[in-house]
Amino acid sequence: MSFEKFKDRNVGEDGYYMVDIEDYPETGWGKFKQVASRSLKGELFVGLWVVLREMFKFDIHTVQYPKEKLPIGPRYRAVHKMLRLFESGTERCIGCGLCEKICISDCIRMDTKYDENSRKEVTEYSINLGRCIFCGYCAEVCPELAIVHGGRYENASEQRAHFVEFEDMLTPIDALKAGQQEEFPGFGAIIPGSDKSVKKTPLAY
Amino acid sequence: MDTAYLIETVIKIVILLLVFSALAGFGTYFERKVLAFMQRRLGPMHVGPYSLLQIAADGVKLFTKEDIVPQNVVGPIFKIAPVITAATAFMAAAAIPFMPSFTIFGYEVHPIISDINVGILYILGVMAIGLYGPLLGGMASANKWSLISAARAASVFISYEVVSGLSLLAPIMMVGSLSLIDFNNYQAAGVGSWMIWSQPVAFVLFVIAAFAETGRTPFHLIANDHEIIDGFGTEYSGMRWGLFFIGEYANMFFISFVIALIFLGGFGDGSVGGALALLGKVSFIFFFFLWTRAAWPDVRPDQLMWLCWKVLMPIAVVNIVITGIVMMF
Amino acid sequence: MANEITITIDGKEFQTQEGEFILNAARANDIFIPAICYLTRCSPTLACRICLVEADGKQVYACNAKTKSGMNITTTTENIEKERRAIMEVYDVNHPLQCGVCDQSGECELQNYTLELGVDSQSYTIADVDRSSVDWGHIHYDPGLCIVCERCVTACKDMIGDNSLKTVPRGAGAIDGSFKESMPKDAYAMWNKLNKSVIGLTSGEEMLDCTSCGECAAVCPVGALVDTDYIYTSNAWEHKQVPATCGHCSAGCQISYDTKHTSIDNPEEKIYRVSNEWNYVSLCGAGRYGYDYQNSDVTKDETAFAAALDAFKKADTINFTSTITNEEALILQRLKDKFGYRLVNKDAQDFKTFLRDYSVVSRSSIYGSDLEKVHNTDFVVSVGTALKSDNPNARYAFNNAVQMKGAGLYFHPVADPVVDGMSKNVVSINHAPLQEEAVLYLILDLFANKDLLPKKVVDYLAGFHSEKTVTVTETIKEKVVTQVTKKVVNKETGEEEEVTSDVTKMVPKKVSKEVEVDENRLLEIVGAPAKFEETLLKLLKKKETFSLIVGPDLYTHPSSQNIARLVALIEKYSAFELVMIPTLTNTLGVGLICDLDDEAGEYAVGYNTQGDFVLSGLGDGDLDMPAINQQEGTLTSINKRVNPTNVAVGYGGYVLNDIANALGLKAEYTIDYTEQLPTSRGFKTRKFDDLPNHYTNAGEEVRGYLLGKMPVRMKKDEHVTPIDEDQALDGTLVYLANPVRQFTPFTNKAHQLIAEGGLYMSESALSASELEAGDVVSVKTEAGEVSVKVISDNKIDGEIAYLPTFDANINSEALFGGYRFATASIQKV
Repeated sequence: MSFEKFKDRNVGEDGYYMVDIEDYPETGWGKFKQVASRSLKGELFVGLWVVLREMFKFDIHTVQYPKEKLPIGPRYRAVHKMLRLFESGTERCIGCGLCEKICISDCIRMDTKYDENSRKEVTEYSINLGRCIFCGYCAEVCPELAIVHGGRYENASEQRAHFVEFEDMLTPIDALKAGQQEEFPGFGAIIPGSDKSVKKTPLAY
Repeated sequence: MDTAYLIETVIKIVILLLVFSALAGFGTYFERKVLAFMQRRLGPMHVGPYSLLQIAADGVKLFTKEDIVPQNVVGPIFKIAPVITAATAFMAAAAIPFMPSFTIFGYEVHPIISDINVGILYILGVMAIGLYGPLLGGMASANKWSLISAARAASVFISYEVVSGLSLLAPIMMVGSLSLIDFNNYQAAGVGSWMIWSQPVAFVLFVIAAFAETGRTPFHLIANDHEIIDGFGTEYSGMRWGLFFIGEYANMFFISFVIALIFLGGFGDGSVGGALALLGKVSFIFFFFLWTRAAWPDVRPDQLMWLCWKVLMPIAVVNIVITGIVMMF
Repeated sequence: MANEITITIDGKEFQTQEGEFILNAARANDIFIPAICYLTRCSPTLACRICLVEADGKQVYACNAKTKSGMNITTTTENIEKERRAIMEVYDVNHPLQCGVCDQSGECELQNYTLELGVDSQSYTIADVDRSSVDWGHIHYDPGLCIVCERCVTACKDMIGDNSLKTVPRGAGAIDGSFKESMPKDAYAMWNKLNKSVIGLTSGEEMLDCTSCGECAAVCPVGALVDTDYIYTSNAWEHKQVPATCGHCSAGCQISYDTKHTSIDNPEEKIYRVSNEWNYVSLCGAGRYGYDYQNSDVTKDETAFAAALDAFKKADTINFTSTITNEEALILQRLKDKFGYRLVNKDAQDFKTFLRDYSVVSRSSIYGSDLEKVHNTDFVVSVGTALKSDNPNARYAFNNAVQMKGAGLYFHPVADPVVDGMSKNVVSINHAPLQEEAVLYLILDLFANKDLLPKKVVDYLAGFHSEKTVTVTETIKEKVVTQVTKKVVNKETGEEEEVTSDVTKMVPKKVSKEVEVDENRLLEIVGAPAKFEETLLKLLKKKETFSLIVGPDLYTHPSSQNIARLVALIEKYSAFELVMIPTLTNTLGVGLICDLDDEAGEYAVGYNTQGDFVLSGLGDGDLDMPAINQQEGTLTSINKRVNPTNVAVGYGGYVLNDIANALGLKAEYTIDYTEQLPTSRGFKTRKFDDLPNHYTNAGEEVRGYLLGKMPVRMKKDEHVTPIDEDQALDGTLVYLANPVRQFTPFTNKAHQLIAEGGLYMSESALSASELEAGDVVSVKTEAGEVSVKVISDNKIDGEIAYLPTFDANINSEALFGGYRFATASIQKV
């Protein structure tokens, strides 16, 4: 990989222009003239006019937050969710530890063990949301589309423990059955049409 | 002394205190709403319909908040400073005629606590004492921001005292009296006789000085939040801070009355219409205080000083000289 | 050694030894040749075939083609690239894609080579068969992940010597015939072999019954073989690797403690496994699984510390064991210099005395060889040591030497099925206890250069020989000519005619002959098997280098002085190179650093051993001390190397250096003593932080430094005394030794190794007696008595039972009067 484009710090003039700022007056007389012109040319009144106009237009942009909420995009990255498999309802997480490894704020940890079905079982999973920067790497790296981002951004709590627990993130089984689990279209999701770009492995069955 | 006069004065003082304390609260509500509307916002919305009871909520909050006196402050001075601010604001109101005289149950009421013959001088003097509030509070707070604020307060008050005094000298020369009643009567003939037409320069200078002395934008440098937190008020909490607050808003109201009385014809001929006109003028001036806050930026302390000593004061002196020359011939 | 030659690899010239494998020559010079199945030091398996290179225009396998002078090697050609890519594709056929859950993920050679060779699509296919995972006890085998490189089999056979693993039929269907045409040749051959086998147990049983070293799991390139305890607990990349030296025996193996936080709730570092550079060092079960013996949850107990200082002020003796670092040994010596303590350490004292007696003859302060050399010798002899439990690495060296076209002799009173099972090229001779001198005389007789050997000894040895006439039956092949008549069709005429021809046959015929033979009575004394001399002659064919391993039985032998001299004579006057096995972890270091005393005084401080006030790294003493995995310091190994070891897990209490500082010595850290180790005893002035601890690509050990040889000032004395043939121990015998995977109470603290000690009896001895495993017996010797459980041990054979030292609850040493064998009466309680 070439670093040349990073080394070229000559950003050029395209798209940049000097803001029209007059020179700052040096002499007392110059300053007086500036004050006089600014006061008498009516610039001050332009400001007054603008705000007064807005007041009478009464074009209010306030969203009254707890009562009204703005819609968020489906790719929004708020508190993580743990998905289940649609068919069997089991947790998708296989405990591979990739999210733990890739996490740049080092806030994911998991404990795994060998369970009685000879599978890798995640016994504990924790995300320190106090440290999480919601970059979405964990969702992107997850090979099972198990950890994704949800839309829950209201995290205020009196206790850290309330921030997130594995059980809170996991889709409840009844919600899954009710068909409420949706695939996350953001980081890590399968790109539409990606099947076409995959070479097929021959099978002997 | 006349007992009736005594009772009347006490009643007037109580009414004045209650009305203007409450007005200070409404002033904040009004300010928040006006600023919000000018910025395409809604402002307070939750306490009562359109948050009309915001003042009650603020009052409850201020009264119930813990009264903190920080460790290294100079205790007595720290405690007395907010009282000075509020007290001087209300003391200045003693010489302001808020309305024309009227008769109630056969008793003639003068809605002025004391029509002293040095009214303007008294108001300017007492307002000048108001300096001690921010100055002492800031110096006693053991806080760097408060100290900077105290220094700024001292310099601004002393400087603009000069401008407000000199700018009023020309109208005083024309009226020949220091009583605000006399000022009002001087302009009673109608809009054409308003002082603003004969002394436009003095009007502008006095309004600028009024902004400086009440510490409003664009001269909000005494407690400039983005530079020095809340200035002298940084270490205050609860009702002590509330007193500073009431003082500031009461001052705004009183200075609005003074401007209306001196330059805008006051209550005119003393009729009901004149009284309402006075309230209208005061309201507009108060609104103007808020309006500028939404529209204009702040100036720097050095610019403010420069403006005072090198621009406004010479203009005021020239204005007096010209007024004198005009009056001579 | 072989000659230095020049070869050319990919256009660059390199120096190497003649006869070195191309792969090793390339690796030593940092040239990358992909290889999966090859294990350095072991014989080439030729399972993966990925190490194909072109040498002088011919395709050869780098792992088994030897270099020749002027050889021109190309590591890749177009055809080789095709072969390699096809091989990797074949390895990926039916290999599960859930790398996420595999323990090997991140350090998997299949992952690495698949990426390295850019395998991004699959061309081959075959129906899979049922390959469910199996639990083999401490090892877990998942055939589904297995690529049958047979590295585990090779390691187990060529290095460890257990021969516990082999390939077994897979039971898969045939490969689609069309692939034979379309596939590269070597890839097809490799697949053909791969498709026929999986790994199974040699014993045919369900569970592994071996010496449990775990080396098979370590060498496994994929996640097929995993330690059962480690499975699915962490990913390779999570571990912090702490380079260290194993603290269990004198081998001083280079290991890496792989640590990470204990759990989400507990951020404390915990050792999850021990990993090693398996190409260059092989671990035993104690080294691999006995890692968590740390003295945990210790805080600075000021009262105990004050009590310790009082005890040191009161004491006149310090008892200690050799499971300490060189630095601690030096601190003890400094304390002795300052306060005149007696330092009492039996095993180091015995070893030190033995070394001194050896020096009198050999004129060398220390034995000349090391285990690295043993690996490369053709003929290796072990005397006076229970090889597999005293020093597993010496056993690996012995086995490796034997397996790589060598041969060996194993002299020990206790029969060892593990040694017997190594190879048919090993002859083990179970002589009677106390007859070690006879064994050494025998070696002198068989191998020493009699022209140089002192005349007295030659004469003495000649006294054992006598002429004897024996009848020998020989098989001679005799020529017999017979006439055969056949009917043959005449091609020209088409008629059948009879043809008679002479047919010559060789027919074996037995002939008896009377022959004068030399009879050696020494063979009889040591109890050599019949026809030993003939067997030996066969074993000695084409053998050029010789190694002798001697062990702790000799140091405590009643006539150890004479034995030491005999050992020195063997080293001096024969081709044998000598290695002595130091009894415990740092016996050699302690022996060199400390001036030891024989007798304890009235009030003793014990360090990891008994005393009136006990400092202990086991956590059972009056003041806690760190265990070796909690310390930094150096350990002196059998290879005469001063190896550094580092802190793997934290320790919160006081260390010996704190006591020394409180008593007036001055050092901020214990490792400040590293550079002060006595140069007069062979140590070097090297700072601890400057000591390296790794292996190079060429397999060169870059660890710490080697002890220097010191001049010997004692008078030369080659006088040796004759054997006392009547010397014998009568009745039931017990031996002082540990089972495999145990050395000291420290190994017994590790969670995977915890065991209860007892009287270990071979299966044959057990069935011959009235005892059963689990019975409590009282073992009584002249010196003392203990009550222990009987434990059946199938890793020994014969009548002699043994008592362990690893179990702190059994004071076995008290039963033995120094020598490791004793007569005992065993009574069922």
